[in-house]
Amino acid sequence: MRRGNFNRAEAVVVGVIASAVGIAAGLLIHWFPTAASTQAGPIDTLWDVLLVVSIPIFVIVACVVLFSVKWFRVQPGEENEDGPPIHGNTKLEVIWTAIPSALIASLVVYAYIVLVDIEKAPANPSQERHVRVTARQFAWSFEYDNPKAGGKPITSNFLYLPEDESVKFDIKALDVLHDFWVPAFRMKIDAVPGITTHYRVTPNRKGTYPVVCAELCGLGHAFMRSEAHVVSRADFDAWLAKLAAPPAPAGGGETAAVDAKKLFTDGNGTSIACGQCHTLADAGTSGQVGPVLDKVLADKDAAFIKESILNPSAEVAKGFQDGIMPKDYSKTLSPQELDALVNYLDKVTSK
Amino acid sequence: MRQASLFRAMEFLAIGVGFSYGLSCLTRWAYHIHPVLDSAAAAPIIMLAAPLFFLVGLGAFDYWFYWASGKPSRPEDHSLHGAHSWKDYFRINTDHKVIGIQYTVHSFVFLFIGGLMAMLMRAELAAPGRQFIDANTFNGLFSVHASLLIFLFIIPVFAGLANFVIPLMIGAPDMAFPRLNALSFWLLPIAGIMMLASFFMPGGSFASGWTAYAPLSDSAPIGQDFFTIGVQFAGASSIATALNFLVTIITMRAPGMSFFRMPLLVWANFSTSLLVVIATPFIAASQFFVLLDRALGFNFFDPTQGGDVLMYQHVFWFYSHPAVYIMMLPGFGIISEVLAVKARKPIFGYRMMAFSLLAIVVLGFTVWAHHMFVSGMQSWIRIPMMVTTAIIAVPTGIKIFSWLATLWRGVIHLDTPMLFALGFLTMFTLGGISGVMLAMIPLDIHVSDTYFIVAHIHYVLFGGSLFTIFAGVYYWFPKMTGRMFDERLGRIHFWLTFIFFNLTFAPMHLIGVQGMPRRVADYSEQFAGWNLLISISSWILGLATLVFVYNVVASWRGGPRAGANPWRALTIEWQVSSPPPIFNFDEIPTVVGGPYEYGVPGAVHAVFKKPEAPVPAAATGGDH
Amino acid sequence: MEAAAISAHAHDDDDHGPPEANRSSRVEPQLLGMLLFIISEIMVFGAFFTAYFFIRVVNGDDWFPVGGHELPVYVAGVNTAILVSSSFTLHWAEACIKRDNHWGLKAGMLATFLLGCTFLFVQINEYVHIGFSPQDFAQGTIFYGLTGLHGAHVFIGLTLLAMVVVRSFRGHFSSTEHRGVEVPGIYWHFVDVMWIVVYFTVYIL
Ligand code: HEA
Ligand code: HEA
Ligand code: HEC
Ligand code: CUA
Ligand SMILES: [Cu+2]
Repeated sequence: MRRGNFNRAEAVVVGVIASAVGIAAGLLIHWFPTAASTQAGPIDTLWDVLLVVSIPIFVIVACVVLFSVKWFRVQPGEENEDGPPIHGNTKLEVIWTAIPSALIASLVVYAYIVLVDIEKAPANPSQERHVRVTARQFAWSFEYDNPKAGGKPITSNFLYLPEDESVKFDIKALDVLHDFWVPAFRMKIDAVPGITTHYRVTPNRKGTYPVVCAELCGLGHAFMRSEAHVVSRADFDAWLAKLAAPPAPAGGGETAAVDAKKLFTDGNGTSIACGQCHTLADAGTSGQVGPVLDKVLADKDAAFIKESILNPSAEVAKGFQDGIMPKDYSKTLSPQELDALVNYLDKVTSK
Repeated sequence: MRQASLFRAMEFLAIGVGFSYGLSCLTRWAYHIHPVLDSAAAAPIIMLAAPLFFLVGLGAFDYWFYWASGKPSRPEDHSLHGAHSWKDYFRINTDHKVIGIQYTVHSFVFLFIGGLMAMLMRAELAAPGRQFIDANTFNGLFSVHASLLIFLFIIPVFAGLANFVIPLMIGAPDMAFPRLNALSFWLLPIAGIMMLASFFMPGGSFASGWTAYAPLSDSAPIGQDFFTIGVQFAGASSIATALNFLVTIITMRAPGMSFFRMPLLVWANFSTSLLVVIATPFIAASQFFVLLDRALGFNFFDPTQGGDVLMYQHVFWFYSHPAVYIMMLPGFGIISEVLAVKARKPIFGYRMMAFSLLAIVVLGFTVWAHHMFVSGMQSWIRIPMMVTTAIIAVPTGIKIFSWLATLWRGVIHLDTPMLFALGFLTMFTLGGISGVMLAMIPLDIHVSDTYFIVAHIHYVLFGGSLFTIFAGVYYWFPKMTGRMFDERLGRIHFWLTFIFFNLTFAPMHLIGVQGMPRRVADYSEQFAGWNLLISISSWILGLATLVFVYNVVASWRGGPRAGANPWRALTIEWQVSSPPPIFNFDEIPTVVGGPYEYGVPGAVHAVFKKPEAPVPAAATGGDH
Repeated sequence: MEAAAISAHAHDDDDHGPPEANRSSRVEPQLLGMLLFIISEIMVFGAFFTAYFFIRVVNGDDWFPVGGHELPVYVAGVNTAILVSSSFTLHWAEACIKRDNHWGLKAGMLATFLLGCTFLFVQINEYVHIGFSPQDFAQGTIFYGLTGLHGAHVFIGLTLLAMVVVRSFRGHFSSTEHRGVEVPGIYWHFVDVMWIVVYFTVYIL
């Protein structure tokens, strides 16, 4: 009978080749974004292992399906025939329960080891740097201890981290759920109203990486982005010192005393930095969330700019959406700061 | 009063809206809350009460009112049973076959609506930057897309197919509670229309995802209420149907049909119904919490008042993880039917197939927090959840391998239902494997909330559930309509779907790992190329569905007549005419053997006492 | 659809009803349905208890007294006794009808119904005088949530009981036909037992 005519060896050979090709392709594909933390290594390796385990499983299933169709497809004259009445085979059933169980068990143990590895505390946890991350609709802010004892904490809308130092994030949310994710570090956790969540990373590659909000938090969710800068220890200290420096001596309430450019790029500690969302050549920012101010403000006067900052909904820029730009600048910016900012913007954008 | 009908239902609906609005105003007036006329405050009351008026008008409760009023019980006259014209599909009908078709057709309507929303989403996502949809609408689109496809397509369409088939399969004249069955169906359009209507609300539709995480959903505009309350109706419908299935399967099997002679579809729906009865109350409660927070200012999820935000997720996923098996197990049942018949072999390891279903049910309740690996919950909970989640691969693997063994050395009829069944075997394996990857906490930490999850979702829900649904619809199409579908169009439909399904959803794995988050209307330049490919493929995938629609409509109207048993199947539904007679059987059949004894000489599953009944497994499709 | 209608008609078997279904289990369908429904109901309570568990155990917030507000443990205790006694009167009514004692059925059902109403009345009265609202703090939310959910079930139970009372007075039940008492009765017992759990966890613990 024809039904005996099949060649298991053929299936095995095809399966082995397909698995090999699949695994090779899987390992060659550039899956992950740049790795910039010591946590990334173990996670990327875990992924490779998972690929190596998974691809043969899929290949087995696919091969059995394809070869069954090839060998056992109904032939002319067989339309009313039935297959052999095989009801089961205990040995086989034991095998395909036991092997996946063993695989699963090893994967779980391995994943557990990786988990412990990526979450382990540094040798001297009390010395570890803490960065307090605050998420709110739709912006990030990062708070650092002041290097000077007793100094006010330092706040920035961009994340700066020294290379090769373990840092622990204490993450809070002011309104709804957000999720603090730096793809280059591979780690993420939700920012949950009411509690503080944590994770730690050790950045190990200098560069600038996106900070992403990964939990749906409302209409600005897609735009809730910031930047993580991994810099050398020296650069980091310099950056901290710059932010920690008291503002230039406040001489007689002159608007000039306010550093408007810094306000634009870094905010004042409570206000969210404009540069996080706006591109402005003079300030060197490249935010993509809001309109490019060099362009849209070219033909606008100071009054318009002021109104746009205080009351963003008054006139919504074309192609953009109301409700994303914070509406609280009238509170977070002092009148002097506001005027300085408006003047600055008016100056640098008018042609 | 007018005869119960859709018209009367509409009148009652209007009365219900007026009544609820009045009630709200009256309460506000009594408590000196101003303004007295406040539509936003009245909306939840209207949404909860007016549908009940609609159902009363439709006649869903006529019999129960009659009973409750204390009148003596009257004999059943079967006036609500069966369909004589298309109009009978638009009223309360107690015939499980009519209800099954109502369910199925209705669910497919929502597939098309939900799918169309996906098309809009893909158009927006075809290129970075804003195309033509603002962020709020986009968030609304994927929220409604998922809610419709889950609560108004996958769950009910399985209930619909099972409704049609199960009483026939177990040799019962109808479901145990036919009137409850009718009510279960009519709750669904209410839920569906409610969710769709949310688009017309100020502030737009609900936009916090199908997961509706608090506190975002607590503070969202009024559209959110349409989800919160819509889910109550969909949930009530599922619970009622599940209860009905369980009672029917336990108490109404034909003589001789022991549990281990039941077809696996019956087993699958038995398991699913257990899940539904136990788990669904949790989503009802989670949405009640949200509703109470929203409408009455309760503090379930307000941390400033001592509420607990993560509690929402625990309660939600305690339903919604079992729900993913609610969306898969009936499909497993369909595949068992199709494979055994199309490979002409008994199901390999029948008992293990049944037991693994039960194992999945039990395990399914122990894994909910794998959706919360990055939620900030107590970190130790992750470990047991990882273990239990990964273990589910074992019973699922048993099923996959047993199906493969069923294929092996069979006589494989590679027609449309079989193609979809084989498509399911391979695609679901992929989706399941990506699920096991997600169970590995360190990997999930990176890919959670990215397009990798979107890929997993669609591989299991489209490549898994939807493929089984297509297989099932093609397989039972002759039984349900009495007509054959066009085989060639069926194959075209399969191949287009299979190819463009993969082109649409496979690249999502890659962009997810590369760092594209889900639920975003905009993304960075680096993902542009893949997204364009995905969008184009998804449109062709959508168009492929039109082939299916055309095939079904044309074949239903003018396809060749189908015989009673075109597939030479043994199970009982194929031993009656196509479509089955109005009361299913003249005489309840007697079950004398297993349901899948293909290849066993002279094997019979069930016999009818009447001599003129078709002889099981006799010559193909003896026309009546 | 047309096709379905035509062929169904061709059979022309509308004149005879459906065949009698085989009974494959000794359990009555109505009874089984009610038991399954009760499982669902227990899970609804389970979800509310989860909320309770999270506030009280996971978060470790203190339980009553909260902000100087006490729960009226003793009044509620008496109320518990009232509700529990209604289970006994109900049981008695059922026992009576099984012996064809119609007077006992009527008296028992009426007593059950009135006891239930009393319970609900006392509960509402408690809300009026308790001094805090669900909007005040999460514990209040949970308190009103759980007792309110239970109150809603009492209301459903009372509606069912009301129907049974009406039908008992019309003489619809007998020693052979009393499923209409039994099935709502199970529900009422469930409502009672649930209250004991609620009382114990919310007021006593
Ligand atoms: C039909 C629906 C369905 C099904 C069946 C599954 C099945 C599984 N799912 Fe999936 N899942 C979803 C629908 C489904 N899922 C949805 C909708 C979401 C997203 C929700 C949202 O956030 O919106 C989700 C999300 C989701 C997450 C959360 C991810 C995150 O948000 O971070 C996880 C994590 O563990 C997970 C795991 C699994 C696992 C382990 C299975 C297993 O059951 C799979 C088992 C199957 C197999 C493994 C294949 C066959 C087996 C073999 C061939 C044997 C050999 C195999 C091995 C040894 C590996 N799923
Ligand atoms: C059963 C479930 C199911 C099904 C079938 C689908 C089907 C599809 N889904 Fe969906 N999807 C989900 C369940 C499902 N989805 C869930 C649970 C989510 C998560 C939501 C959340 O985050 O909350 C999700 C999210 C989701 C996203 C991610 C959104 C985001 O996170 O930003 C995307 C993006 O591409 C997507 C696309 C699609 C596409 C292209 C299809 C296609 O397969 C659809 C094909 C079908 C049709 C198109 C319908 C019929 C066709 C016509 C009527 C013809 C007209 C056609 C044209 C005009 C071209 N889905
Ligand atoms: C979270 C993102 C975000 C931040 C932070 C932000 N903006 Fe905006 N901004 C937007 C968006 C989005 C728009 C377009 C919608 C609108 O007009 O409200 C916009 C619009 C504007 C406009 C009006 C442009 C036009 O043509 O109408 C000005 C001016 C402006 N922003 C200045 C600022 C300044 C100055 C700051 C800091 C003090 C700032 N923005 C902070 C997102 C932001
Ligand atoms: Cu913040 Cu998403
Ligand atoms: Cu899950």
